[in-house]
Amino acid sequence: MLIDYSVVLVYLIVGVLFVAAGIVTAALIRPSRPNPRKNSTYESGEEPIGSPWIQFNNRFYIIALAFIIFDVELVMLFPWATAFKEIGWFAFWGMIVFAFILALGLAYDWAKGLLDWEKPNPQIPSLDELVITREQYLDELKKKEQTGN
Amino acid sequence: MYNAVVNELIGSLGLIKPELALLVTFVVVIIADLIFKNNKVNLGLSILGTIVSGIFLIGMSGTNTSAFANLIAVDPFSEFFKYLILISTLIVLVMSEFSEELHNRDVWMGEYYMLVLGMALGMFLLAGATNLIMIYLALETMSMSSYILSGYTKEIKRSSEASLKYVIFGSLSSGIMIYGMSILFGMTGSLDLYAIQSYLAANGFFQPAIFISGLMVIAGFAYKISAVPFHFWTPDVYEGSPITITAYLSVASKAAGFAVLVRFIKLTFFDAAGSSDESWIMMNSIPWDMVLAVLAVATMTLGNIVALWQSNVKRMLAYSSIAHAGYLLMGIVVMTNTGLMSILVYFFFYLLMNFGAFIVVMLFAHKIGSEEMDDYEGIGYQAPVLASLLTLFLVSLTGLPPTAGFIGKLVLFGAVLDSGWYWLAVIGVLNSVVSLYYYAKVVRNMWLRKVDNGKGTLKFSIQSQALVMVLGIPTLVFGLFFGPIMRWAEHSVRIFLGN
Amino acid sequence: MHQLIYLVPLLPLIGFVTLGLWGKKIKNETLIGSIASTTVGISFIITLLIFFELLSGGNTHIVKLFNWISVGNFNIDWAYQVDQLSITFALFITGVGFLIHVYSIGYMHGDRSFYRFFSYLNLFIFMMLNLVLADNYLLTFLGWEGVGLASYLLIGFWYDSKFPGVRITWTGDAGMKAFVVNRIGDFGFLVGMFLILITFNTLNYNEVFDIASSNYISYANTGIITAITLMIFLGCTGKSAQLPLAVWLPDAMAGPTSVSALIHAATMVTAGIFLVARNSVLFSLSETTMSVVVVVGALTAIIAASIGLVQNDIKKVLAYSTVSQLGFMFVALGVGAYYIAIFHVITHAFFKGLLFLGSGSVIHGMHGEQDIKRMGGLKKYMPVTAKTFLIGTMAIAGIPFFSGFMSKDEILWYAWSSHHGGGWLVWLVLAVAAMFTAFYMFRLYYLTFEGKERFDHHHVHPHESPKTVTFALITLAVLSTIGGLMNIPPALTPWLHSDPLLKSWLKPIFANANMVMGEHAHHGVEIMMYVLMALATVVAFGMWALAKKWYSDAAWSTPRKLAKNYQPVYKLLLNKYWLDELYYASIIDPIQKLSTSFLWKFTDIGIIDGIVNGSAKSVELLGNRIRLIQNGIVQNYAIVMIAGIVGVIAWIMFL
Repeated sequence: MLIDYSVVLVYLIVGVLFVAAGIVTAALIRPSRPNPRKNSTYESGEEPIGSPWIQFNNRFYIIALAFIIFDVELVMLFPWATAFKEIGWFAFWGMIVFAFILALGLAYDWAKGLLDWEKPNPQIPSLDELVITREQYLDELKKKEQTGN
Repeated sequence: MYNAVVNELIGSLGLIKPELALLVTFVVVIIADLIFKNNKVNLGLSILGTIVSGIFLIGMSGTNTSAFANLIAVDPFSEFFKYLILISTLIVLVMSEFSEELHNRDVWMGEYYMLVLGMALGMFLLAGATNLIMIYLALETMSMSSYILSGYTKEIKRSSEASLKYVIFGSLSSGIMIYGMSILFGMTGSLDLYAIQSYLAANGFFQPAIFISGLMVIAGFAYKISAVPFHFWTPDVYEGSPITITAYLSVASKAAGFAVLVRFIKLTFFDAAGSSDESWIMMNSIPWDMVLAVLAVATMTLGNIVALWQSNVKRMLAYSSIAHAGYLLMGIVVMTNTGLMSILVYFFFYLLMNFGAFIVVMLFAHKIGSEEMDDYEGIGYQAPVLASLLTLFLVSLTGLPPTAGFIGKLVLFGAVLDSGWYWLAVIGVLNSVVSLYYYAKVVRNMWLRKVDNGKGTLKFSIQSQALVMVLGIPTLVFGLFFGPIMRWAEHSVRIFLGN
Repeated sequence: MHQLIYLVPLLPLIGFVTLGLWGKKIKNETLIGSIASTTVGISFIITLLIFFELLSGGNTHIVKLFNWISVGNFNIDWAYQVDQLSITFALFITGVGFLIHVYSIGYMHGDRSFYRFFSYLNLFIFMMLNLVLADNYLLTFLGWEGVGLASYLLIGFWYDSKFPGVRITWTGDAGMKAFVVNRIGDFGFLVGMFLILITFNTLNYNEVFDIASSNYISYANTGIITAITLMIFLGCTGKSAQLPLAVWLPDAMAGPTSVSALIHAATMVTAGIFLVARNSVLFSLSETTMSVVVVVGALTAIIAASIGLVQNDIKKVLAYSTVSQLGFMFVALGVGAYYIAIFHVITHAFFKGLLFLGSGSVIHGMHGEQDIKRMGGLKKYMPVTAKTFLIGTMAIAGIPFFSGFMSKDEILWYAWSSHHGGGWLVWLVLAVAAMFTAFYMFRLYYLTFEGKERFDHHHVHPHESPKTVTFALITLAVLSTIGGLMNIPPALTPWLHSDPLLKSWLKPIFANANMVMGEHAHHGVEIMMYVLMALATVVAFGMWALAKKWYSDAAWSTPRKLAKNYQPVYKLLLNKYWLDELYYASIIDPIQKLSTSFLWKFTDIGIIDGIVNGSAKSVELLGNRIRLIQNGIVQNYAIVMIAGIVGVIAWIMFL
């Protein structure tokens, strides 16, 4: 029984070897002469400014989320459309209910102002404890070490 | 061809009236929230909807069939769990009214009620699901709602942390589960649990792939019920969420998880033809009982031992709920109907005592501003009624007579001993003994420390005290008159086993 | 009439409760005494009426009051058995009890806890009656324990008085000693009861005896019967102060004299005799036990009598005499002459009660003096006491035709002639003991009432006791004289071919035992009877004369010389064979040392506490280690989860 999975094992090993061989050989063969220019991040030819780790505005996420939902709804619609003729009224009302719920969700989004790009009263996110940047944290740590010990 | 299917679908609609009621309430609450923008209306509608769903559920008692072409089973087993979930939902909705955590922070409660209803709907479907995809869908519905609910008070850092950890861990477990489901589907050629069972019955030999995939699916369920080693999210999430959601998760979510776990194991891996009510025959010589036994022991032990060191009451209750999940797992290990019945009985009492404990902790936390055990010192004399009720709940959680918790443990250990799993029962009892310590620590702090606190009595609203009494009195009464619950559970153990 | 048997114990119980709860408020001593005496008196009258009913051909009855314990198959009723044995005992318990109650009204006059004394006395009567009237072992045991309790309460009645004894300082210590020693006996009784329950499945007397006697051939001399009877006998040695548990009775003299008379002479100490008599069937089935009973009884008789020879406290002499007489009774039981033992119980109750009450009268008249060396010549001052005391002495010494003569003589005869353990050795031991008895009793009499007055006339003014006291003395003296008529030995009435009165009265009780032993109906009259009787009489008179000669002499020179010449023997007897010291050194002290050093310090604190605390500590430490797994890092959680799944897969696959 178990022996049937030997194929998988061989595949796994060969695959790992394949990739590893390539990387290891390349690392061994190629010359290594780094310089600051080479090590900097690529940003389509532009000069990188600041850290690449920024906080994404979650408006993008909300739009993408809404898009995905309605895209999937669309995908559901296609097969429904093909079988619609045979099923008849039941299919009609079923899809009305489905679409209604999703439309309700959209209406909810709209009414609560989640689809607005520009928020009228922007609320800066605040937490009970302020989040600090990594540099500030390291500074505080250094200060504590100097004064505490 | 389609007509038959359509007719069946229309016919099945009548079988899911409770779920439909919940769905309609959900939609109505969304609409009402948009129109009236009034939290009281939202709350009222949610409660109304829950009650209507309950009425439908009562109207459907005794049905034992499957709906939507083996997608969901509507049988006494799922009905029991639906009652549990409904009662939990009602209690949570009422409890949310008294929760200052939620009302202090200008949090809009509309989504809260919607999400609770959505979670309830998911749990209803989960309790009855007999199709792999249905299980996954219902599980995800439930989980999604609970992810959001656990981070509902997003200004509190703990809450966001809890929610995020829950999401990450939950996604991981869902991923593992769906992977297992896919392998299972691939091996057996069908998503329907009944069809999988016939396939397995036909090919009775041990197939490692079946075992591994089954184990992965069970890992997904185990995550929901906080079994070790899938429990890591529990302490963080329970501690961070608003306490109403913690209570809801610890009871209803666990109940739904257990329902689907039992159904999955019984329907898929047990020989329906060969098993009798009292001894289920495992197919394919996969020793599920040993696996579950190990899981049960690990869960109980870890839950109890780590709880000893907790100083935060909520976190302690989280670990205690892990331990209780361990005890409940023992009921499945015995693979008999008596074992199942004991799980149902235990769950019912667990609902009462756990909710009671959480509500009291919530009320105390608002008044004294802390959930640390050390801050409970002397509170017995400041709030005697609630403190005595909390004592009652903690005593019941330990499993001491004459409370309902004792009866639950009695029935559970009785079922385990009857089936000859002596070592399991011994471990269970030892664990109960260990659990006495951390429950008693709270009681001791409340009554035996700082007896003359100097601080005045704490006043609680009469409704909140009434709510706790509504849970406390049955805890005591059922400790003595547990007959009706036992009969109900015995009646409910019939799981619909296919055509 | 017999239905009223429940009143007999109930009335003293009511007396106890009433006097216990409200006695303090009743200031009138006469009233308290009357209440207590009346309850016992009415009980006596009822018992008497039931006795007459039974005598004139009535049947034995069982009067059930209520169902006491009912657990599964185990059923015990609170029921009283009205038969010859129980009514006999009830008669003299209530009768002598009544007399002593009346006596105590005068004796305890002026005591600060007058009411408490009488409530305890009533409690005692209630418990004793339960003991003898019960129809099952459990109820008897209740009474058995109850009389032990009453005895403890009454010995330590004057709880703040000092009392000298071996490791005893207060009267309470003496009471404690009595209670603890009794407990050892109770243990025996309990084990016996358990064995009976296992063997016969019931604790009801009639049922047990029916089973035993109908299957006596299969039960005879079996290990289980021997075990049962030996255990019960252990209980009897405790209650009736036989060796090895005889040590409590002399110290029980710390209590008031009425208590000594009632409990430690007439009634409680006879509970052991009662128990053996009741279980006569079972005892007859085991020859081993019978032999043990004979040996223990005989040894006790002679050893106690020898100790009594040299005691100087008036009550101690009487105490040792009681122990010795109880030894006689046990010998009678051991050789199968059950009814004779009962006879001696009754006569002993009469004359020993009389003697104790007389001594109480003397002590009362001498304002608390108990040392006979400081008395003498009291005949002049207390004529009634002296005369009645003389009668009692004559009875106990075995002077012919007094009650003691009748019963003791029969015991000696059966000791000689019985086929079940009798023989010349047993007879000889008892005869010597009887000789000692006669001697020391007359010694006591002469030292106390005759001879030179050795007390300080300025401080002590002896006087006769009040009417309540003398009334009891006279009644008992009459009974001691004519009491023997209830069972005249066949030797004295050879023309009668029927059994003596008591023997025929108690015949139904001992019928089963006699059947088992194979006793014949009639022995007839033998020459040996007369020989032994004459011998005993000669010895008794001889001892009287000897005692008179030795102790009428003012300086009692002969005894003193003997004591000096045989100093070690004298010391041995005076210190009662150092029995108490022996017990303390060999049993009690080692056990206490063992308990303190080993069992307490090492086992309890070290091992048991260590295990309990240690297990808790280890769980705590384990928890401390395990809780560190939960560190908040989600990646770790994921790794552990995957590892768990892989682990389970590996375990099952490669199982």
